[in-house]
Parts: sequence; structure tokens; C-alpha cells
Amino acid sequence: MAARSRWPLVRSVCLNGGRRFGAGRAGLGTEPALTPAPLSPRYPPVLPSRTAKSKSAQKRRMEEFFQRVHDTPSVAEKLRLLTRIQRLKYVVYPQTLSIDADRWYQSFTKTAFVPGLPGRLTAGSGAALELGQLKSLVCEAVLQENFYMKRRRPFLYREREQTVLPLLGNLVPRLISALVAENPLLGASTLDYEPEVNFFWLRGERTVPRGHRKGQVDPIRFQIDDKPYCQIRVHDQLPEFVPLGQSVPEDVPVIQIEPSRLPLFQRQYDNNIFIGSKIADSSCYGHTQFHFASDKLRREKLIKDNLTDQIEVRLRANGIASLFAWTGAQAMYQGFWSEADVTRPFVSQAVITDGIFFSFFCYQLNTLALSSRADQHNERKNICWGTESMRLYEDVEGDNVRGFNDEVLSLLVHFLLNRPESIESSIS
Amino acid sequence: MTLPCVCMVTSNVNQTRKTDEVKVQHPPCLSEPCCQSNAAGPNISPAASDLPADLVFKFPAMWSGGSRVRALNLVPALSGCRLLHVTAGLSAQAQRLQKKLEPVEIPGLEPITYWDRMHYVPGLADPKCPVWDRGWEDPFHRRGPKYEEMPLYKEKPCYTFHQRTKMLEGVKQALWLTKSKLIEGLPKQILSIAEDPANCIEDQDERVKAAISHARFWTTTEIRPKRDRFCPVLLQDLLHLCRILQPRFPTLGNRMLAENYRVAAIWERESDIFRVCGLNGVLLSSKQPLPAVAGKEEILSTESHALPTFYPISPNIDLQQTHVYKECNDTGFRDGYPFPYAHTLYITESSVNMTRFKPEPLRAKMIMFTFANALARAKLLYGEEPKELDNPITVQCIATNGRMFQFLVLQLNTTDLQSNDGVKNLIWLDQDQLLYDYAKCRPSIRKKIVQVPAGLSGYCPETFSKFLAMYLHGAV
Repeated sequence: MAARSRWPLVRSVCLNGGRRFGAGRAGLGTEPALTPAPLSPRYPPVLPSRTAKSKSAQKRRMEEFFQRVHDTPSVAEKLRLLTRIQRLKYVVYPQTLSIDADRWYQSFTKTAFVPGLPGRLTAGSGAALELGQLKSLVCEAVLQENFYMKRRRPFLYREREQTVLPLLGNLVPRLISALVAENPLLGASTLDYEPEVNFFWLRGERTVPRGHRKGQVDPIRFQIDDKPYCQIRVHDQLPEFVPLGQSVPEDVPVIQIEPSRLPLFQRQYDNNIFIGSKIADSSCYGHTQFHFASDKLRREKLIKDNLTDQIEVRLRANGIASLFAWTGAQAMYQGFWSEADVTRPFVSQAVITDGIFFSFFCYQLNTLALSSRADQHNERKNICWGTESMRLYEDVEGDNVRGFNDEVLSLLVHFLLNRPESIESSIS
Repeated sequence: MTLPCVCMVTSNVNQTRKTDEVKVQHPPCLSEPCCQSNAAGPNISPAASDLPADLVFKFPAMWSGGSRVRALNLVPALSGCRLLHVTAGLSAQAQRLQKKLEPVEIPGLEPITYWDRMHYVPGLADPKCPVWDRGWEDPFHRRGPKYEEMPLYKEKPCYTFHQRTKMLEGVKQALWLTKSKLIEGLPKQILSIAEDPANCIEDQDERVKAAISHARFWTTTEIRPKRDRFCPVLLQDLLHLCRILQPRFPTLGNRMLAENYRVAAIWERESDIFRVCGLNGVLLSSKQPLPAVAGKEEILSTESHALPTFYPISPNIDLQQTHVYKECNDTGFRDGYPFPYAHTLYITESSVNMTRFKPEPLRAKMIMFTFANALARAKLLYGEEPKELDNPITVQCIATNGRMFQFLVLQLNTTDLQSNDGVKNLIWLDQDQLLYDYAKCRPSIRKKIVQVPAGLSGYCPETFSKFLAMYLHGAV
């Protein structure tokens, strides 16, 4: 049947005066005739059923759903369609107690981790900054929290929270206001305290092992619900570190075991995608997040448990998960999703600290196509750069900060001064 | 079957049979008419049997509510447990009516107790057991010292104002306690800073409206954030807008915010001691002091001002009276703090429940805590002696509930607060300034007419100008 329907022009009698095209010996080896204007098919296309219990019907439903999402004009409606149905999903915690979590998180988010920072952010690049005034700023903030402020006895295991959170809360705004002159992007930024950052995505597939749906193939769903201590959101996107098509030599680890072995647990609740503010906010791009390394990442506890290598692993996992969620949510706010991949990379930065040790992370989101259908021919991967944790100062003795590390401060300042070229040219 | 009371017997069986058949000792419930006629059986038998249900329910009319209860009362075994035949309310009534009688002590007469007998004997008095000392300190059974035994106990009480105090007379009471004169409206220096166009941020109105929308609408995944979320977010957003003016006014960099600090100030006022202490809000401290707002003449003219009294209400109403207190003045920071001068105190009133502060008690709280900050610093600089200050100390305060702002400037002229005459302190108060009228997620429609549209409406730019002016005061 299908073969006959592919030959409408040959079969139609009115075209060639009743004779068939290419029939007999004259039909062999002739050059192709001029194609006449295409006729609209006389019969509607033969499509598989929409409601049948068959693989072709399911495929048709999926394609119609994707077409519906493609055709929706507003981003809010797209997000609503993609996150409408609640199902069991793995909840990924950026700060986790699992062993070797960073490789697992890299495989969930298709991220390649590159040690060190990209070229333009390394300390020492660019013009030498006036660090003297900024150093006194940082020292004042450190001393206020550690020495000058009179405090009561802290709650059990919450001593560091009591000093570090106010330290960040003082340091970040003061550094921003000191650097506004050099980076006008910060002058138009929004500073959120304890915002919610959520992201929901599909990655990989699994076959349902038992139950009435046994044997069916289901996508694996993930959700990140993060709460950084503070974050800076801007209305202009940060420039990319590497071009979109360019690949890095580092690989994305592939883990064959199922996610629940990490251990990771499933729950079912609202699928949220949120950058810290709703879609109507004009500051819809991320700049820098500041995280507090809570008790789960406590260094002394890990050293005591003979898990010294896990210190950096947990910091990396925190950086990768938090930044992937933030950049992914930013990309979805611009209308991209797994079937409509990003056309420009989304870049954000993060600083994770426990008061003394600082780690710096940069993330470039190159692809959102992580579901099994979209990932089949996708060579792009997301890239995360990160440093090891570095001490900001050795000790606080009375009203003196001993052993201050200028490198950490210069990295912090470089992070805050990161801005797009359009603003750079407007300053100069 | 043993029955606890004669009443029960007479209600079920014939009157004639009661003395023969039932050989039980009956408790003398002499209060009831049904029992007073019968003078049988003085002894109480502590029968543990339940009341037969049919007795209670069959003859409810014969029993007044009280009699049933008092019958239950007289059986010691039944008084503590739950009786399922009776409703819970009645057995609760039975619990409540038991009163522990105080043992009467008559000097010279020793009560005869059953202590030597080692068991309860009816008719003998309850012994007073000696206090048992465990021998070690068990953290689950700590009694703690009594107030009189605490080291900081003093005979004279002190009236404390803390962060949850809501004074009856509000601002008037705060003015009397701090010996201050009230002036409506902000001082003209601050108003001139507010009106100066050189002190505005670019696109000030749009940016403030974006900050308000962010706080009121966009800061949560739900439809609308609650007050405990949007109020601090709004304050931080407005402070962020103020801070970005630092390139224009470099001395703005000499300021530091401090949350969760505790201030303490104590002073005597007309034979009573008053004290303000505790957490209050976010303090902006600076390296340079604020300039004095009122000149010498204005300060001297306050000498003739009479403080408003509110007789017959005492000035220490609603203040917590304590006998255990520490007589010290504390700024919350140690010596050598690089930001010794208090600039502005920001108080957010972001509680969601009914214990929130209405505007009047909030203004009183502002006055008291600003005064405490100023007094603590004055005593640190000029000593504990009460005296008139040559260089008055100025501290500002802004309180908000997310929509309404209260602005306050306090100038401390004197620490001599004992008497009612002399130089008074000055307070400029600008109250109930709305930043916007409505911030609604859904439009408010009545009778098919939109009363209030959705989104932000009724924005007042003057309120943010005053906020910014108070921030820039001292740096302009």
C-alpha cells in the first residue's frame, strides 16, 4: 500500500497525456524530469493512534506533547507543562554525606570537572588590584564576628553557623559596594539572602522491575532543592569561558549502577524550577552564589573518620550540584528545555566557605538535553571548574588576623568583577 | 459486691433491706440529704470496684450533678483514675475539686503523725518528710536556686524592657522613661538631604518598585510570601539600593552591619531603676559619629518642657519586674571595636501571628532601644556619672512591617535622668509612612468592579527618599 502511494505523480493520468512516466525501455536511464508543483495529498496523513496501548501510540503522544511545549509562547506555561505531573524522583542534595558523590553528580548532570579556574579568573591575570583597602574590609568583618561581638554560648554543633553566616552577610555587601565603581553590573544587581534554588530534570532510563507496569521503560527524574546563603543576580548574562561547540579533554564519568546505590532516595512532591525569583524579575541571570559548608562538610569530623580525601569531594559535589541547578533554571527561564537545547552557554560562579577555608567554582552550562531521547546525538557537555579549598587566614589572635592569604582575596575580587564585555567597553 | 456509698444501695434496692443485706462499711457522705438520714457505717472501705453502670444511668433524676461527683470523691482509690462509665468532664470536675489542705502549725502543739507507724493510719496527721538529698547533681531533676539565693539578687526591683514588651501608654510612657521631648516630623537636615536631587539613585522609582515586587511577589515558589519572608527581604533590598551609592559618597564604606547583638543599659528615674536589654534588630555602626541635629539653644529650651504624665497609670506598667539583675551598661561589642558609633537601628516587625506589634507599641520599642544604644555609648565615653553631655549623641532608628515605616532620630543630651527637670533629650518621630498602598497577587473585586488592581499600587516615593536620607545622614 505504502509503495503505491509513493508514486502519485507517475500514476496520475492527467500529467503525461495518459502515458506512464518511465514505463518500458524509455523509462530507464532518462534524466529526471522537471518536478511539477507539489500537489497537496488528497488523503490525510496516516498516523498511529493516539489512545491505543501501543509503542507507536505512545510515541505519537510524546511527540504531540513536545510540539505543544514548543508551540507555547510564554515561558511560564512551558515550565508548567514540563513540571505538571508529579512522580517519584530522586532528591539530590548538594551537601551530602555520600562517599565519592562528585563523580555520581557529574554523571547525573553530564558535567566534566576541570581542576583550576578558567584563564581569565586566575589570580594574577588582568590589572593588579588595590587589595589594601579590601583587605582591611575583610579583616574588619572577620574580627567583628570572631572577637568584637559579644555572644552567648552557641547551640550544640552550631558554633560555626553563628560566626560564619554573619561574616558572609557582612563581607559580601561591603565588597560589592566597594567594587561598584569598577563593575557597574553589581550596581544594578539584586542580592538575595537564603533564596530557594530548585531544578527538575530527566536523565537516563530504567525498566520498571515489578508491579503492574513491569517491563515498561521510565525516565529517571531528579530534583535539586538548594538554599545558598546569599546570591547575586544580574540582568546581563556573564560571558562564556569556552565557546559552545568546543570540548574539553576531561570526560564525564559514566556510572552504570542505579542512583539509589549512592545512596539517593526518591520522593514525590512539587517539581519546582526556580532561580531565586520568579520569571517576571528582570534580574534573571546568575552571577555568584555564596554557600556555607555546613556540618555535613565539617573538616575535623572527616579527618577524624579517616576520610580526608572526601573533604574536597564533598565540596566539589556541592559546587557542581548547586551551580548546575542554578544555571539550568536560568536556561529554562529563557525558554530552553531538553528538546530545545541552549543556543548560548549559561555561566555562573560559586564560593563555598566554612569561615576559614574558601573554595571557588565556575560553571558553564552548554546543554540541557539530558533525557535519554535528547542525549542520543548530543556531544556537548557541561563544564565545571573548581579549586581546592584555601585558607583565608591562619588564626585570629585578639584583635589581629594572622597569616592573611592575599591570593584568596584576589580570587574573590576577580569573581565579583566578572562582567560582560558590553559593560567593559562602556567603562573604558 | 462492695458498694462505695449508701446512696447507691438505697437507689437500687428496697429501703428495708439496706442494713441487713449489705454488710459493707459505707463512707459517710454526710453532705447529701440522701445519706444524712442514715447514720450507718463510719468506716470507708477503699473498694476498688467500678461503679455499676446501671446505677448511674437508671436513676439520673435522683442524683443532682454534685452528688454524683462528691460520691466519687470520697473513694480515694477512684479519685485518681478515669472512670469510663462517667463522662470525661465529670471525672475532670472530680479531679479539680480536690484541694490539698495546708497543714496547720500551732506552736507548742506537736501533731501526732503516722511516721513511726510506717504506714498510713486514718485519723493521724500527715508527717512532714525530711528533704532528701540525692548526693549528686542529676540534670533531669534540677530544682535550681531560688531568686533570693542567686548571686545577683537585689532588694530593690528593676523594671526591664525587652524585645517583646508592649507598653500600655506606648510613646508617652517611653518619652517619660527616657526623659525626652517629642517633635513630630524628621529634622530639617535630613529632609534637605531627602529633597536634594543629587542624592538620588538613577531610576530610583523603578528600582524601588522592583525591590518591592521582588519582596512581595517574586521571592518564593508559592503564590505569595508570608510576612516573615517578605519583610526582611524588603529591608535588605532597600539597604542594597542605598549601599550602591558608595562611589559617590566614599565615607559610606566606613559602616558595618551587626545582627543578633545584645545591648544593655540601666538608669534610675525618680526612685525606680529601669533597664533595657536584649536582642533588638540590625545595627548599622560607623567609624564617625553622627552630627548633633539640634543646636545649643534648642537643647536649653527643653529645660522648660514638662514631661507628659499619665496618672493614675504608673510609669513602670507592662515592664518586667525583676530582683535579679546586673547593673552594667553594655553596647554589645568589646573595647576597641573599629565602629564604635551607632548610626541606625533597623527593626523589622515580621511576625505572622497575633503577638505582632501594632504601630504604637512598635514606636515605643524603637524609642527604648535607640535610647539604650545611645545611653550605653554615652556611659562608655563619658563615665557612669549622670551629667549633661557637651557633645550630644545622635542615633537613628527605622522600623517597618514590610509596608509601613516609622522613622526616628534621637539626640541624647543628658544622662541625668533621676529628676524630672533639667535638659531633656530630643526625639524626632515621623510615623506611619506607607511605602505603597497595596501589593496584591490577585485583584480585589467587589460587585464586579475592580477595587484594587493586581500588582503594586499606590507607591509613595517620599518614603524611600527619607529612608535614603537617613542612610546618607552623616556621610553627605
